[in-house]
Amino acid sequence: MSDPKIEGYEFKPGFKGMAQDTGSDQTMFKGVHWGKAMMWIFLLSDTFIFSCFLISYMKGRGSTLIDWPNPSEVFGLHVFGVDVPLLLIAIMTFVLITSSGTMALAVKYGYEKNKKMCGWLILATAIGGLTFVGMQAFEWSKLIHEGVRPWENPFGAPQFGSFFFMITGFHGTHVSIGVIFLFIYAYKTFKGHYDEGKRGWFTSIKGDYVEIEILGLYWHFVDLVWVFIFAFFYLW
Amino acid sequence: MHAGIIFFLVILGSVLFHIFTPWYWTDVASNWGGMDDTITLTFWVGGGVFVAVCLFMVYCVFKFSYKEDRKAEYKPEDKKLERILTWTTTLGVAALLAPGLIIWNQFISVPKNAIEIDVMAWQWGWQYRLPGEDGKLGTTQVTNINDNNPFGINLDDPYGKDDVMVQTDVINLENNRPVKILLRSVDVLHNWYVPQFRAKMDAVPGIVTYYWFEPNKTGEYEVLCAEYCGVGHYAMRGGVVVQDNQDYENWLQEQETFSDLMAKQKLLETGETKLAKK
Amino acid sequence: MSEDYNDNKTIQAQSSETISGSGSGVSPDIDYVRPAEIPEQDLYHGHSFITKWVFCQDAKVIGVQYFLLATFTGIIGLILSWLMRLQLGFPELASFMTAEHYYQFVTMHGMIMVVYFLTALFLGGFGNFLIPLMVGARDMVFPYLNMVSFWMFFIAVGVLLASFFVPGGPTGSGWTLYPPQAILEGTPGSGMGIMLMCISLILFVAGFTMGGLNYLITVLQARTRGMTLMRMPLTVWGIFTATVLAMLAFPALLVGALMMSLDNILGTSFFMPTILKAGEVLEYGGGSPILFQHLFWFFGHPEVYIVALPAFGIISDLISVHARKNIFGYRMMVWAIVGIGALSFFVWAHHMYVSGMNPWFGFFFATTTLIIAVPTAMKVYNWILTLWRGNIRLNTVMLWCLGFIVTFVNGGITGIFLGNVTVDVPLSDTYFVIAHFHMVMGIAPLMVIMGAVYHWFPLVAGRFLDEKLGKWHFWLTFLGAYSIYFPMHYLGFIGVPRRYFEMYDSPYMTSAVGMNEFISMAAFIVGAAQFILIYNIIRALKIGKPSGHNPWKACSLEWLTPSVPPEHGNWGERLPVVHRWAYDYSVPGAKEDFITQTTPPSDVANTEVEKT
Repeated sequence: MSDPKIEGYEFKPGFKGMAQDTGSDQTMFKGVHWGKAMMWIFLLSDTFIFSCFLISYMKGRGSTLIDWPNPSEVFGLHVFGVDVPLLLIAIMTFVLITSSGTMALAVKYGYEKNKKMCGWLILATAIGGLTFVGMQAFEWSKLIHEGVRPWENPFGAPQFGSFFFMITGFHGTHVSIGVIFLFIYAYKTFKGHYDEGKRGWFTSIKGDYVEIEILGLYWHFVDLVWVFIFAFFYLW
Repeated sequence: MHAGIIFFLVILGSVLFHIFTPWYWTDVASNWGGMDDTITLTFWVGGGVFVAVCLFMVYCVFKFSYKEDRKAEYKPEDKKLERILTWTTTLGVAALLAPGLIIWNQFISVPKNAIEIDVMAWQWGWQYRLPGEDGKLGTTQVTNINDNNPFGINLDDPYGKDDVMVQTDVINLENNRPVKILLRSVDVLHNWYVPQFRAKMDAVPGIVTYYWFEPNKTGEYEVLCAEYCGVGHYAMRGGVVVQDNQDYENWLQEQETFSDLMAKQKLLETGETKLAKK
Repeated sequence: MSEDYNDNKTIQAQSSETISGSGSGVSPDIDYVRPAEIPEQDLYHGHSFITKWVFCQDAKVIGVQYFLLATFTGIIGLILSWLMRLQLGFPELASFMTAEHYYQFVTMHGMIMVVYFLTALFLGGFGNFLIPLMVGARDMVFPYLNMVSFWMFFIAVGVLLASFFVPGGPTGSGWTLYPPQAILEGTPGSGMGIMLMCISLILFVAGFTMGGLNYLITVLQARTRGMTLMRMPLTVWGIFTATVLAMLAFPALLVGALMMSLDNILGTSFFMPTILKAGEVLEYGGGSPILFQHLFWFFGHPEVYIVALPAFGIISDLISVHARKNIFGYRMMVWAIVGIGALSFFVWAHHMYVSGMNPWFGFFFATTTLIIAVPTAMKVYNWILTLWRGNIRLNTVMLWCLGFIVTFVNGGITGIFLGNVTVDVPLSDTYFVIAHFHMVMGIAPLMVIMGAVYHWFPLVAGRFLDEKLGKWHFWLTFLGAYSIYFPMHYLGFIGVPRRYFEMYDSPYMTSAVGMNEFISMAAFIVGAAQFILIYNIIRALKIGKPSGHNPWKACSLEWLTPSVPPEHGNWGERLPVVHRWAYDYSVPGAKEDFITQTTPPSDVANTEVEKT
């Protein structure tokens, strides 16, 4: 990305430029929208939340007295008479990563003020997210049907159920919140709120296409977290 | 001006309080006199810094209090002074840290000849188990605990049979013999603490924690629970009796072993069945 | 709705012209400051009582709201401490108190004072009021989010206080809330009490995150022209760094509280091993109680610095203003704040030396803990070196500063005892610990808060607080608090464990009875002395001496607003332009003994300004 134009300020490349930006007045991240900077810092904080969850999970898994269940059996699906390990998760992951792609395109079209393309792509992202949550609900109900509970687990250590439901649930909540916002933003895009700078319902901040990028940051983060959860729960 | 005097009196009072205080640590009764030494060392260094900083402050208050016609010095930085202060402080801190780490190393390296004592805590009391003639404690499990097996010893563990069980909250220890306290809890956190021995460690349910010391003064001491464990925390006391070799052996002979207990239970049960048959 | 905004106002500060000087010559204009790169903030100006004073989006009002609510919870915490001291000093008078009550009061006192009083007051109160003013912004960058932040805090306090009225009462598991006992019978409030506590903490964290994002982005991205990071007052540095710590440390608390709630409500076993209670094995198993302690202290230790760093920053400014001298070693002070903040994430397990964790951790955490003593000591040296050759006004504000130095150095040094792993073993879980942390993060920050109240009250209300009442308030508080906590260390040396409802008759504890009575008396007096401040504030609001502009002759921006108290938007038509750091006091050659941050260099060309 090219540097923004700032009157009276000369950008420098590399570490020197970073030091100069830090030492300058007014802003540290030159040309970065307030909301975007806020989202980055919020995501940093959120990273710590998920790290705490995953580290607790590792500690919990390491110290249980009963064996941990084998993930490829527990999460396997039985389709057309064959046991396929990790089938559902593969699809879920694929859907979520694809929705990240559509989100990125939505941001691009947003900045090009292509209202229609942008809106449809946000909607596609939202539907991807909804599909993911739906499949997660399916997986939860399958496990619950098989007798896995937060407090007990017929396949092995009860902590498996506790950590699985807690962490995927916390992530699923993130996705669901994201989906709600995606629908709202799609509506706002189609209505042209970002073109006319209409004020938000609650925050009364003027609408701008940068908001789509901010939501995009959140959405990519949620995807990235899923990759870690995927690795820790399904591949370990 | 008055302010400076009062601050000075506060500093003076603190020093005098420290010198004349009737409240100070009890005589150490274990090998951890080194902990007292590190405290004393920290006291000298830290106390010195405290007094020096505060007296300097009081001096400034006297010397540089507000005058209309005076202007303060303008000196944003003094690199040299700052460097000197940084290095002196670093050295002082290192001097405090080093002995601390050395003694900590002793604290976590248990001597080979230490006798292991299983200290079992619950809400709100203690009981103790000593190894029998084989010198080894039997393994235990919380779920095994019942009236017939108060320590939850695994019945198929041969080491457990001759374990000596002390089902009161007072334990006797042999003078000048290192003990390794193995702590476990069946419910919540506890902490087996005898102020005179200085050392302490939490008892955590689910795991066994340990520490060691060597009592070196005969006498009776009080055990306190030092980790908050519910409403009965303040009343969770126990006792330690440190005895010379002979007295200790006599005491040990009187104690019941696990097999004694099992035999007694069996007798009782057969008696009961016989009674029932009649 | 659009008439509520200053959309159509032309704001002069946006143009690239400099405040003074022509800028036309060949030589660069010494007063040149880069033109504005951030657009004018559009603010929502409330009209009704509700939008102006209740759901207000003005950071200054939100700051005052935070201040008042935190003070209110603080007074509850104070009353709880009275009840505890009554039990400890005069148990015969406290026959209405059972052990359950005592432990509930201990817990609520601790949690209220640390989180809902000190954290909320420093970051929510002072942070909201001072950051925009000190960096020259019109408001926080997200005023709406800021308003929601306060109301989340309000709900969190409500939930916390509600736990007094549920069956079983509030939780009595100690402010550390250690499982398993926090959620087991045998601890008061193990059902509803602990649940409400966890919910309240989660709400607090959520609300705080909203506020914290505001403070960070305002400092990073909304400073006024000429305001570089190294020209900011140390108050802003302290609050900023503390907010960074909070954003990274609160997640651990959130996760811990959530997992404990699940253990409590759903019966999961995150922190619960196999437990035998009253002869029955509970349906828990396989969890790790020490995991909670790690999560808690990963939050808990940075939390200490979340309280301490703003205090460090504020005290630096107060000392500098009232000693009429620049803060000594400004750059060192900034780096010390940042360094302490960074190190504070690597020391948490020094609270757990005797917790049963792997003892080898002791070496690492003792070393990191003592390393943190070095930057802290540097800060203390710089404070007293600022007094050295200053021109010290011995007013109430300065007294609080001096009181802070004494208590902070005292508490800091006992921290070296507890941080050094071996020394900690005999002293941990005794009254020494109580005395240490009350001295260093109870009394010392309180001294700063009081100093800051006397210092900034003229800005908030436009009137001075009464000096005479202030001095009474100070001496009663300082001498009283010092005589509570200084002797208390010696109870710890005897080996009196903390959290004991009654001392009973252990031979070495009976000698403590007299001291306990004395400490309790002092505690009642100190607590009562705080009401002098409340009276003083009410009195000053009515008949206090008007302060006018910049009554303390300070350099920093918050005193340079066109109106006192500052209006919404802070700066009137033009944003200020900054030309120097916030500490140009007693510059040789200058007409007065201070040069404000907005004074352009051409105005003070004949002086010997060294740092800008």
